[in-house]
Amino acid sequence: MPTPAKGPRLGGGPAHERLMLANLSAALFEHKRITTTVTKAKRLRPFAERLITFAKRGDLSSRRRVLAVISNKGIVHELFTDIAPVMSARDGGYTRITKIGNRKGDNAPMAVIELVMEPVSPKQAVVNEAEKATAKAAPAPVEEETASAESADSPESAQSGDSAESADSAESAPSAESAEEATEEKK
Amino acid sequence: MAVPKRKMSRSNTRARRSQWKATAPNLVKTVENGRVTYSLPHQAKVVTDSAGTALFLEYKGRKVADA
Repeated sequence: MPTPAKGPRLGGGPAHERLMLANLSAALFEHKRITTTVTKAKRLRPFAERLITFAKRGDLSSRRRVLAVISNKGIVHELFTDIAPVMSARDGGYTRITKIGNRKGDNAPMAVIELVMEPVSPKQAVVNEAEKATAKAAPAPVEEETASAESADSPESAQSGDSAESADSAESAPSAESAEEATEEKK
Repeated sequence: MAVPKRKMSRSNTRARRSQWKATAPNLVKTVENGRVTYSLPHQAKVVTDSAGTALFLEYKGRKVADA
């Protein structure tokens, strides 16, 4: 579930925002790559990725839920038949946003949002496996060391804290008085 | 429609505009082929040919858009 966006709606109101997101996602699925403002691209990303998740499920009810957003049957067909199989191996992160600088007319920051159509790189899977293996081997001895270290530290720290507080209170009282005297002399 | 009653003085106009300030962008320094270049972070860069005409925008070795 995408996190609800903070701040004002895109466009004039809630209905306008729904329509803009629907039209932007339809354009994204039709052209695979669209140029828009950074704000719209950031709002579009969770919205469009949710539609792709429906497309990956691929049954009739999910198709109807997508059709409730995108009214163009041709684009929805393309989403379910062309885009969904490409994304089948990918667990989220179906879109990529790249900033391309400011627009000439109104200096609005622009971005390209595109579908990530490349196959999932096998390198990362290998890296994850290696990390998991090292994590399994590492944690047991580390936990024992930290527990012993905490028990040793705790009594010392409590004592030092008390002494520090008493020292502060003793010092602070005379210093405050001296400060008051100094201000009186200035007057 | 609400309309200003009095002309705004030259002094007030200039006092307001004196608060307009430019801020320097934070650039990242990279060395490409022995040449030091400064560029905006997290933003696609324009790739040019030897004559200096813009070809396309590139980010992290990936073509992003036409220039």
